[in-house]
Amino acid sequence: MIGPTASLSHLHRADGSASYKCPATGYNILGAVNAPVELPGRRDALKPEEATVEVFVKPGTTTAGVGERYVEGLLRSVLGKVVLGREKGFPRRGVVLTLAIVGGENIERGDSYLTVFPALLHAGLLSMISASVPLSMTFSATLLGVTKSGDIVRDPSPAAAKAAVSLHVFAISSKNHLLLNESEGRFDFDTWELARQNAVTICQGSSKGSDGDVNMEEEKNASGNGFIRETVEDQIYSDYVYKLDSI
Amino acid sequence: MADRRRINGPPGGTRPPVFASVQQSSTGAADRARRQRQPAELRKIFLKTGLIPTASGSSYLEFEPSASLAAARSNPKSLIPPSSALKLACTVHGPKPLPRSAAFSPNLVLTTHVKYAPFAARKRKGHIRDASERDLGVHLETAIRGAIVAERWPKSGLDITITVIEAEDDRWWGDAPNSHDASWGMMNVLAGCITAASAAIADARIDCLDLVSGGVAALVADDESPSSTGAPRLMLDMDPAEHQSIVSACVVAYMPARDEITELWLKGDSSRAALEKDDERTGHEALVDGAVDAARGANTVLAEAVKESMERSIAQV
Amino acid sequence: MASTTASHATPPSLSLPPSQFARLQPHAYLLAHLSPPAASNQPSLRANGRAASQFRVTSANAGSLTHTNGSAVVRIGDTAAVCGVRAEILNTEDIASWSVSHASDEQTDDKKSKSEEGDTDSQDKEDRAHIQDLNLLVPNLSLSTGCAPGFTPGAAPSALAQSLSHQLLSLLHSTRLVQADDLRIWYQPPNLEAEALGEQMDVDSEESGNPAREIKAFWVLYIDVMIISLAGNPFDAAWASVLAALRDTKLPKAWWDDDNETILCSDDIADAKKLSLRGLPIASSFCSFEADAAAGWRSVIIPDAEEQKAQEQKQKKQGMQQRWVLADPDGYEEGLSQERACVVVDKENDGKAKTVIVKMEKHGGWALDGDDMRQLVDVSAQRWDEMKRILDQC
Repeated sequence: MIGPTASLSHLHRADGSASYKCPATGYNILGAVNAPVELPGRRDALKPEEATVEVFVKPGTTTAGVGERYVEGLLRSVLGKVVLGREKGFPRRGVVLTLAIVGGENIERGDSYLTVFPALLHAGLLSMISASVPLSMTFSATLLGVTKSGDIVRDPSPAAAKAAVSLHVFAISSKNHLLLNESEGRFDFDTWELARQNAVTICQGSSKGSDGDVNMEEEKNASGNGFIRETVEDQIYSDYVYKLDSI
Repeated sequence: MADRRRINGPPGGTRPPVFASVQQSSTGAADRARRQRQPAELRKIFLKTGLIPTASGSSYLEFEPSASLAAARSNPKSLIPPSSALKLACTVHGPKPLPRSAAFSPNLVLTTHVKYAPFAARKRKGHIRDASERDLGVHLETAIRGAIVAERWPKSGLDITITVIEAEDDRWWGDAPNSHDASWGMMNVLAGCITAASAAIADARIDCLDLVSGGVAALVADDESPSSTGAPRLMLDMDPAEHQSIVSACVVAYMPARDEITELWLKGDSSRAALEKDDERTGHEALVDGAVDAARGANTVLAEAVKESMERSIAQV
Repeated sequence: MASTTASHATPPSLSLPPSQFARLQPHAYLLAHLSPPAASNQPSLRANGRAASQFRVTSANAGSLTHTNGSAVVRIGDTAAVCGVRAEILNTEDIASWSVSHASDEQTDDKKSKSEEGDTDSQDKEDRAHIQDLNLLVPNLSLSTGCAPGFTPGAAPSALAQSLSHQLLSLLHSTRLVQADDLRIWYQPPNLEAEALGEQMDVDSEESGNPAREIKAFWVLYIDVMIISLAGNPFDAAWASVLAALRDTKLPKAWWDDDNETILCSDDIADAKKLSLRGLPIASSFCSFEADAAAGWRSVIIPDAEEQKAQEQKQKKQGMQQRWVLADPDGYEEGLSQERACVVVDKENDGKAKTVIVKMEKHGGWALDGDDMRQLVDVSAQRWDEMKRILDQC
């Protein structure tokens, strides 16, 4: 299976940006973050002690509709919890994240956003990191489909997702917390639990990995959180390559 | 253009169903709704305050269903309702500080807002307020502004929002629109709005000169009207669905303790009216007096509802 | 109800009346209710007097609105939703993408699937094709009714109203509650050939000679929800009102009138047909209230999930519960918690068979984990029984 690809900081006007491409589901997301910014005119509505996280989602071919509002709300609640909005310079300011769905299947009216969700979350997180927004933890997300025969498929293609009996999105933090879950279809709790365990494995690598250092390195790269880490490491390496050269 | 803040229906648009029996139009006249009440008899009003606890004041108002509607409900035969009964909810938010951008005002700034639910009328209403809804809002504001002691709250705002869950018909559904036609149902809605808003304002403990209530009267020229001259007769609290031809109608907002009218809205030709022999009044005067009488009737219900609201708040303390 | 319990549980040292304390220190107020001092021997109750997994008193009333095909009013505590369903007709001529080939293809498929053992699979696909692709369900939720301060009446729908509308539509689609077959208006062209042939028609010719049935129009259901009063948890109330209104909905008998080239309906109530809904999915929402409001931010290092759990267990043993999962939160509680969960369950076979989850959602925090979700599903299953009773009565 071809893994996702991501790159950081290629928009120059934004404080931070990232693009994320998931070949399995076909989605390509471009994210940009401006933070901290002054939010004009609505000081009364802002929380005095914390930064306000705002998320905008732009679909590729149409204007944003009610579905986007819903996804924005979910993303805001996940990212708002992870962003350390009380760090110096952040209270009363805004963290503005814009996510554009550049490529992939169109989302029809009333369709659930489950299929794009992991890609949006990853692009959002990477953009936040790229803008150096302080975060309490990182996370990674995965989409799982349960087929009619009860098999759990990771990152099903849009066609497979439509045929699936149930679809599950999980976001698991770098510390193994369940940050977000969205499931729909028809399923029972055991199926959900199975999917959740699967998601933990996908996002964290196998649990055995944390015993030995060498093992962990390899496992981490295959896992979702490992992928996020690796992307950021690569970026830091290329950012500081001048320093390395001068040594 | 599609509204991107709402969920839209099919892009090609849809049509309301057409009933075969209406097209044949032979059965229509037989089961048309008729007024069962005396000319001066009002419909019962159900009015309750404080149903919406998140608001400073609230009220819910419902008119008694007409005889034909009640019959249709208890023994349903046709999918076409013979008439409808007004149902509306009113909330009052405030007094609250005006937004910082607003200009200084030494008085309470009143904002009224009337909106029909999409399913309120026989024809589906849009989500955005149309002209008639805005019109109702303006009429309501005038009616209420005369009753509130506005200088008690400088630099404050008061929002009155009314959601009409079920509106009144403008005419009997089977009748074709004719020259006498106007949106008569709107006048009933306005009367209900005024009474409900007054109850909600009292529930919010805003100082008022008096309780203001709405009343409607109409001059009706029905075929079967017994008056020899053929002049239209005065009917209090008319239900447009029960009459063939309404010549003119009047709605007032009336404060009984001060004998004052804060809002008067008269439509149609009120020059002729069949009155008692020794009645010297012109048609116009009779019409306004009739509306005031209707408002007095509504006021008794209103006073009862406000009393109830008071008792509830005392019980809480 | 709330005020009487409130006066009991607040500490006696407090000189403020409880209602003011509730406004000034909402978090401490709710916490004081949930964790009463051990000496006081009081049960842990919420500020509104409910136990943690107790829902508010719910009532439902259907069919009271005159100008609707189906309507319902649902009150959950102080949250009230009115839903009206209006059916209008969408002619296939008005559908841009509707081609003749499309129509005949679909319907032969349909026939086949029906004549065979009712192959649910292809039927599902077709439901999806019609209901979703043709936008036959149009739910909209309005909060600009003065239902709560903060929603300006007359303004465009707020982000909350929009996402609730989307959630309703998404759930209507994913549960496939409405069957596409109820919404189709068929037309059977008269068999002119057969008439000409007269009595010669035999069994075979019925198959070959009869012109194919075609879909002439669809019913479009405009499902409008007005939240009349909002005191927390609008989704449960809105969904319950949609469900009750759809159960109440009657569609008139409609046919294609060849002479007028239009769809006509019968106003006879005996001809009208109720919708046959698939199942009865019931939504239950929860929020998680944490004892330490600022826990998340000062300690930049958040413990691992396992560590946190162990810690929590330890504290629980000492009688210091750190968080509560509150069912059906009211407006006050919603303001004090960020983490939300929503579970929509259905029970197969009218409640006799096993519980099926149709939607599960959790976001806004990391306190709820797999074990908590299992409990929430159990609570939701109990709620299903309660709601079924209420909806059956209305």
